Amino acid sequence: MNPAVLKMALLGSRSSWGRMAGIGGGVAIGVCLVLLLWSAANGLAQRDARGAWLREMGQTPVTVPLAADGLTANGRPEPIPLAPDKILLGFPGDIFRDQLINHRDIAALPTTTVKIPGIGAPPAPGQYYASPALQRLIESTPAEELGDRYGQFAGVIDDSALPGPDALVVITGVSEAQLRQGPAAMLVTDFTPNPYGESASLYRTALMVGGIAVLFPVLLLVSIATGLGAAQRRERFATLRLIGASPRLISGMAAVETAIPSLAGALLGVVLAVVFRPAAAQVPVDGTRVFLADFTFGAGFAGTAVVLVVAACALVAARRNARTGIGPLGVTRAMHEKTPTLWRAGPLLAGLAGMAFGAVLAKVDTDGNPWTSPLLIGGFALTAVGVVTVGPWLTRMVSTIGLHRARSAAAVIAASRIRQTPVATFRSVSGLVIAAFMVSVFAGGVSAIETIDAPEARPGLLLPTSVYALVAPGFTPGHVSSVAQNIQEVAGIRDVTVGYARAALGRGEDMDIYIPAEDAPSLGFRETLAEQVAAFDTSFLNSWTTTPVALTAAPVHSLAGLAPVVLVVGTDGTAEALDRARTALNTSGVTATPATSRADLATMGSTRLIQGLSALAYLGVFVAVVIAGISLAASTAAAILDRKRVLGLMRLMGMPVAVLRRVIVREAAVPLLAVLLLSVGLGFLVAWLMIISFGRGRTITWPGPEYYAALSLSLLLALAAVAATFGLVRSNTAITATRSE
Amino acid sequence: MSTIDTTSPILSARGVHHGFGQTEALRGIDVDVHAGEVLAVMGPSGSGKSTLLHCLAGILAPIRGTVAYAPRGQAPVNISGLGEAERSRLRLTDFGFVFQFGQLLPELTALDNVSLPLLLGGTKRAEARQRSKELLERLGLDGFTAKLPGELSGGQAQRVAIARALVTAPAVLFADEPTGSLDSLAAENVLTLMLDLVREAGTTVVLITHDARTAAYADREIIVLDGSISAGHRVAA
Amino acid sequence: MNNTLALLGLLGREPSYGYDLKHSYDRYFGVQKPLAFGQVYSTLARMFRDELIMALGEESGGGPDRKKYEITLAGRDKVRQWLFTADVPSETMQSELFAKTVIALLLDDDADRLLDVQRAEHMARMRELTRLKRDGDLLQVLLCDHGLFHIEADLRWIELTSARLTQLKKELQSA
Repeated sequence: MNPAVLKMALLGSRSSWGRMAGIGGGVAIGVCLVLLLWSAANGLAQRDARGAWLREMGQTPVTVPLAADGLTANGRPEPIPLAPDKILLGFPGDIFRDQLINHRDIAALPTTTVKIPGIGAPPAPGQYYASPALQRLIESTPAEELGDRYGQFAGVIDDSALPGPDALVVITGVSEAQLRQGPAAMLVTDFTPNPYGESASLYRTALMVGGIAVLFPVLLLVSIATGLGAAQRRERFATLRLIGASPRLISGMAAVETAIPSLAGALLGVVLAVVFRPAAAQVPVDGTRVFLADFTFGAGFAGTAVVLVVAACALVAARRNARTGIGPLGVTRAMHEKTPTLWRAGPLLAGLAGMAFGAVLAKVDTDGNPWTSPLLIGGFALTAVGVVTVGPWLTRMVSTIGLHRARSAAAVIAASRIRQTPVATFRSVSGLVIAAFMVSVFAGGVSAIETIDAPEARPGLLLPTSVYALVAPGFTPGHVSSVAQNIQEVAGIRDVTVGYARAALGRGEDMDIYIPAEDAPSLGFRETLAEQVAAFDTSFLNSWTTTPVALTAAPVHSLAGLAPVVLVVGTDGTAEALDRARTALNTSGVTATPATSRADLATMGSTRLIQGLSALAYLGVFVAVVIAGISLAASTAAAILDRKRVLGLMRLMGMPVAVLRRVIVREAAVPLLAVLLLSVGLGFLVAWLMIISFGRGRTITWPGPEYYAALSLSLLLALAAVAATFGLVRSNTAITATRSE
Repeated sequence: MSTIDTTSPILSARGVHHGFGQTEALRGIDVDVHAGEVLAVMGPSGSGKSTLLHCLAGILAPIRGTVAYAPRGQAPVNISGLGEAERSRLRLTDFGFVFQFGQLLPELTALDNVSLPLLLGGTKRAEARQRSKELLERLGLDGFTAKLPGELSGGQAQRVAIARALVTAPAVLFADEPTGSLDSLAAENVLTLMLDLVREAGTTVVLITHDARTAAYADREIIVLDGSISAGHRVAA
Repeated sequence: MNNTLALLGLLGREPSYGYDLKHSYDRYFGVQKPLAFGQVYSTLARMFRDELIMALGEESGGGPDRKKYEITLAGRDKVRQWLFTADVPSETMQSELFAKTVIALLLDDDADRLLDVQRAEHMARMRELTRLKRDGDLLQVLLCDHGLFHIEADLRWIELTSARLTQLKKELQSA
């Protein structure tokens, strides 16, 4: 291309500088966000890989002789002895305040050859290795609340075995006998490097969803930015055609004119991504951050992204230009929009069907069907696309109805314009609509978690201020009582109740626990019994029990001859006391299970994961909403500039500026509101489908205040974006705008 | 046909000056427009005739001088002394405008385009549509009410614009080269239709044109040259 | 075109001999058809009789070609009257209007005004024809249109001339 022509293409006028700045800025923000998202994806993948060993479940440590049919047990289970290539791994549930600590107990032979990730040789009994974050926590907390649980500090776990800098991981050395007391110790020969556990798909799904949520508005912004000032550009190109430029040259110029600012923007985006990388890595996902070293996008990816974005922008510009058909006398083909038909609902329905099918699969195939995740992600992406494709059709429907019922001049003008150009009109608000959709999806997801409230004190259920631990078989009632006495001494502990049973729990038919009747009130029971010994069902202890358990008279009159099976520690309810109770129980030496409270289920479940991800998602949606707001302002401005002559003439005829403003507001509000309700509803539907697929029986309820805040923010931003263009209305429809040269 | 009242002008400009930046577009113009007359304002391009129309119609406020508007039987109002909102209101209720081209909102049907000024004035939509429909029929556009401007010929579009300008029964119609983009025959038809309507209603017309044959439809003409009324056409004091 | 008034107009510039007068006339108006001497002298004699001009001091030889003539006040009035009276638009009018414009410029009189006056007359005639058109049948319309287009051509000439007056004046006066 002739350099002079190129110069003319680029430096046409002051408005072309504005347009190029718009394109460059839009592309820069877009590329920066894409790179940061990619970094986050890398970081999470790396984090999964680093923490993969924590998913190692091992093999059963006992053999059970089987009967001849090969299915039923025939005799008592026999422990498999430790060997140099086998260690015994325990997984005590360990909670401090409301944080879950990844705790592993290890019993190994001194000659073991098993490599423990992050520390090498296993710790000796009574020693522990902790992650730096946990060690800091231990050092800053009274020992009786946390440090006493683990014994003597032997060293820190290397970063290579930690998911992130905030990870709370502890590896303690225990004796083999101690580990075998509990139910859950497993034999391990080596640690899995496979990071994909059961929640990986949820992770990836949520990450993809977040990525789509942010990418969508970015693409919209780029597409709106490259379309800026289209009317003036068409005129300029028509002049060039008149003096003999070929259509190909014009297409080429349009491509170059877009490619150069988008290249500059893309490079700026890379720079921005590098600058913001450390800050973005500070965002915690699932309660922990990612190592900065993991939060990276790589030069190859950055290069590919830049090339792809620039090529896409240039191609779109050239194609858009070729399509409008600029002849020597201006645009030859009338730019009529095709009337949107009901076919536009296709992607939306397909997406919803895909998600519904995925949800059904997840329900039916409880083992985890490999198709669930792709169906949900694909369905979600299709639904998001579907919201945008169905928008113009809905917008046209609403405006057609609106045109019939319109009373004022502003309403007639706005409704007519929307009806003629539903696609273009909707495009300007599609960013906000998609943002509202995403916000609703996450709000719906989060609402399911928020409904698991802090447990309330209810008679017949374990008090929320209590923790319990099962007693290992073989301890005498006297020994257990003295342990209970010791625990009672700890500050903040109100009472310790020992529960008895006919046999060790889980080993007999009888599931009742017996306690002295006078201890019943300290467990929260209200019933008063005449008998000496009271009984209740074991399900009293389970945190998932929701119907209160009744206290009944025991069929025995004395606790003599019964085995102690459980220690229930009542505290004053402070977090410190609860942690002291946990520490005391876990170090008592008589327990078979870690100390557990009713709140632990919520802490240990995958809910925190979703909460962490939803924080990321809200962040993404916030960015999306801001971008969408900018896009709306840009396209509203373009809508005014492209019509300035006719609007100027209307003003000249006596139409007040206020009417023009009302027209502009309506042109933004009608498509926004028409599709906003739909997208909010669809958002919750999608969230519900996700939750019934992954959420294990949770239900969806009204969203929290953040949701309404986010939605109001979107609307406020839309209002601000439209109001920002009010200044343009007056100045661009002044009398000079009506001159026909 | 109505009579022209030459005793008291409906619009009266005295010593009107206006300019954009350094250049002075109008240099002390005196014009009287009589009620019921069709006045042609002629002059070469750039002479200031459009600026004169803008001043007479209260679109622009003159730098110096006054424009008095006195609808039949009422005391004159100095338009140039009114605020922008009041002038907008006046244009909406008392004046009508027809321009050369591109004045119809492309997204509105012919009928909606015509009813727009009525809606702006607070008329109910059904009534506005009814009145617009009648006017369009009188202009021979019966079958075109539901068409968009893009689907009309140049002459049809101008007739729609004339209907829009006249639908509010304005006291003064300002027409700026209303037939400037039409061929001779179409221009003649449009002009005849427009003038038949205004003469019947007694509407005063200020018709800007550089074309003598168009100006010949007027009752009288003035010629603007370099921002002044040319010698042979000055107001007889 | 009225030769008498054109000659009278030329005399209005400065007193002049019949011989010079003929050459002036030929220069401005006689490019295609020069004036005969006889015609000049007979016209001068008529104007003298009508007291539109008077002879300046008679010199030796005493023939008509040896007399220098000067315009009288009555003559000047006559010229002005001619200048600022619009002609009925017609096809033969053009040379007359042309002559008037040139004379007005030579006399440093208001050529603008004379064109304006003529323009007004043209417009009036056009209005008349347009009115006739309104009430007439198609044949009448065609006839009127013919007239209208011719008058319009004149008008265009007037417009162009009035736009070029300054330049024209400069050229005439320097010649």
